[in-house]
Amino acid sequence: MIRYTLTRFALLLLGLLVASVLIFVTLRVLPGDIAHLIAGVGSTPEQQEAIRERLGLDRPLPEQYLTWIGGLFRGDLGTSLLTGTSVVDELAEKAEVTVPLGILSLTIAVVISVPLGVLSAMRRGRAAGTGLSVGAQTLAAVPVVWAGMMLVVVFAVWLGWLPAQGFPRSGWSDPWAALRSLLLPALTIGIVEGAMLLRFVRSATLQAVGQDFVRTAAAKGLTRDQALIRHGLPVVGLSVITVLGLQVAGIIVGAVVIEQLFSLPGIGRMLVADVAARDLPKVQGELLALTGFVLIVGFVVDLVHRVIDPRQREAP
Amino acid sequence: MLRRTALAAASLLAAGLLVLTACSGGGGSAAPTTPGEPDPDASVAIRLVLEPSNLDIRETAGSALDQILVDNIYQGLVARTPEQDVVPALARDWTVSPDGLTYTFTLREGVTFHDGQELTPQDVVWSLTTRRDTPAWRDASRLANVTSITAEGQDITLTLTEPDSSLLWNLTGRAGIVLKEGDTVDYKTKANGTGPFVLTQWRQGDSITLERNDAYWGEASGAAEVVFDYIPDNQAALNAALAGEVDVLTGFDANLKEQVEQNGDFALVLGKSTDKGTLAFNQTSGPLADKRVRQAIRQAIDHDAIIEALASGQTQYGPIPELDPGYEDLSDVAPYDPEAAKELLEDAGYEDDLELTLTIPNFYSTTIPQILVSDLDEVGITLEVDSVDFTTWLTDVYTNHDYDLSFVLHTEARDFENWADPDYYFTYDNAEVQDLYAQSLAATDESEAADLLEQAARIVSEDAAADWLYNGASVVAIGRNVVGMPTVNVNERLNAAEIAKSNG
Repeated sequence: MIRYTLTRFALLLLGLLVASVLIFVTLRVLPGDIAHLIAGVGSTPEQQEAIRERLGLDRPLPEQYLTWIGGLFRGDLGTSLLTGTSVVDELAEKAEVTVPLGILSLTIAVVISVPLGVLSAMRRGRAAGTGLSVGAQTLAAVPVVWAGMMLVVVFAVWLGWLPAQGFPRSGWSDPWAALRSLLLPALTIGIVEGAMLLRFVRSATLQAVGQDFVRTAAAKGLTRDQALIRHGLPVVGLSVITVLGLQVAGIIVGAVVIEQLFSLPGIGRMLVADVAARDLPKVQGELLALTGFVLIVGFVVDLVHRVIDPRQREAP
Repeated sequence: MLRRTALAAASLLAAGLLVLTACSGGGGSAAPTTPGEPDPDASVAIRLVLEPSNLDIRETAGSALDQILVDNIYQGLVARTPEQDVVPALARDWTVSPDGLTYTFTLREGVTFHDGQELTPQDVVWSLTTRRDTPAWRDASRLANVTSITAEGQDITLTLTEPDSSLLWNLTGRAGIVLKEGDTVDYKTKANGTGPFVLTQWRQGDSITLERNDAYWGEASGAAEVVFDYIPDNQAALNAALAGEVDVLTGFDANLKEQVEQNGDFALVLGKSTDKGTLAFNQTSGPLADKRVRQAIRQAIDHDAIIEALASGQTQYGPIPELDPGYEDLSDVAPYDPEAAKELLEDAGYEDDLELTLTIPNFYSTTIPQILVSDLDEVGITLEVDSVDFTTWLTDVYTNHDYDLSFVLHTEARDFENWADPDYYFTYDNAEVQDLYAQSLAATDESEAADLLEQAARIVSEDAAADWLYNGASVVAIGRNVVGMPTVNVNERLNAAEIAKSNG
């Protein structure tokens, strides 16, 4: 187990390194120049050059990359070219919106998908099961933006129960207000992701039904449903954990869109604005943080999987 | 200055949504309530479209910054009204010598900066001198021909090498802003001015909050707090308004008039603006170097249809909009006439085989490109639309002049200078126009200056130096309990001092 953990950790570090190089290089390929954006139209090439020099953009690329990576080891992701504020501080501030939004979305997705997915499998062939299956298929195909707008129309504009957009300016100092403003966006992501997850839970459950040990349990006198719930579901749970790990990436992508739609000051919205403004150090930091997060989740899922599932431990 | 007004993007999705909201309206709108007494403690939330990238008024370009900071936070000796008149601000009054070479301003007493320090004549001298001598500061060149800036008592004197009919106007903008001498405030994220509001919070990507400056020298602002909420998407802004989360929407889409007015809480107001939807022609070489081709494009475009599609604004057939001096109705220069356009193209040797590319920043709605593609198709021009992000546009079109046609909404008032500058991306070079513009600057009489501009503008239009697709309106949806909201040219300046809100 220790050897596995170390190998897996080394892979994680390698993944981060490759990601950092990829991020750095791809951003340099983007057309457009922040110095020109700051100096604005009507500026002279000299003014732009002066700004470029002040920002250190005239230095060779390998040097810029090493400076960035060097800072990373000290927990310093650099400073924004536009505002001069620390990227880490900015990320921490925006994470106050994005992280709770992600957790809430994931929770909603799980709460929807697991019971309904199992139910849909157990009622296969009957009206309820088919209905659930078709419903999930439809919901999973709904674009996140459209789902969000529908929810806003119903819950914010018609019923007036929840805010249509924005996040309280006082942040989490009023937790209820903050939570309320995250509810519609989280529901939007949660429903769409949940529908996708539901289909997975359903097929995993159906697969479990066919497994030998479930059939054996049934043969010993349990009903099919009882056998499934006692012996089949733990196996279903395992594969759900793996898929949840993958789902995190989907939720981050969803957050980028949803934060835009609901005017939430989170990492996703910041990322979009920074790309448009070519604030490269910030975009670099944001992308690396997001990639790192996904990689770390994958790492943790793998470890957890190994701990829970005895069958994997014997494997080399 | 270029200005991004992102209009509704997901039109397909919006359409579905609108059907639903329309169902919910239940028909007629509620009778507008008479506004109650203004509440001096009120907080007013105003939706804006474009957030500034940082708050440094000295260096950072962009009208998003002028819109919220000039007048509200920073002030100059003089200011301008929404109707574009120059009025006193930090200067109580001023005189101009008959030869137009000496401007004397009398500075008000008892003005303090937001940090509590008193404003001195030396601060003014320092601000203007530093602005003039620091090329990295915006608009430094606008003070280029001011030779000396001196103070004696409360009097501040500017001496010029030659008359400059645009000086007072320039002093109402960035060039004239008065800062504290040697201030150490972090200009990128904070501000220290003399205006009626104090900047209290900037949540990047979200909002900027101004609070009433209790030590203000002039009349106190009507609202205790003004919050600028940055909501780029029009649909999200509409939802916010209907859910009662914002009091005023600026930069709105006039096509959504019925939706925003349906519950009776808002009224849509169309104010004049100096926004010019400009279709630039790269006329240095290629087919567009031929005036007949440019003229043909102008006559092929149905300008009235554009106004109809935008549901706001008015036509403009020359470089100067109605709010600026030198305006003249030039509709006779390029009337809509596809047949005439075809003939012009035939004369120029392009029959059905002209292909051109339109390079357009991607934050504009697709309405304009769609109309252009179909109008030009009618006369045998194939238009390919290349939608690029703004930084790419800056490099390709603005700097390298690598384009055929380009569309940008130019919002800046009194920006005729670009037609007298052959190096500008318009690539228009006409010695007579340049001469008329120089004469206009040197004129000491306002009406003479305007008259010279008018002559120059007609030449620019007759040369088909570009096409002006429309003169935009400033589309503002105002809550029925809000008074004092400016409605003219708010994309460029939004003086919030008189806005007040009642709770009734």
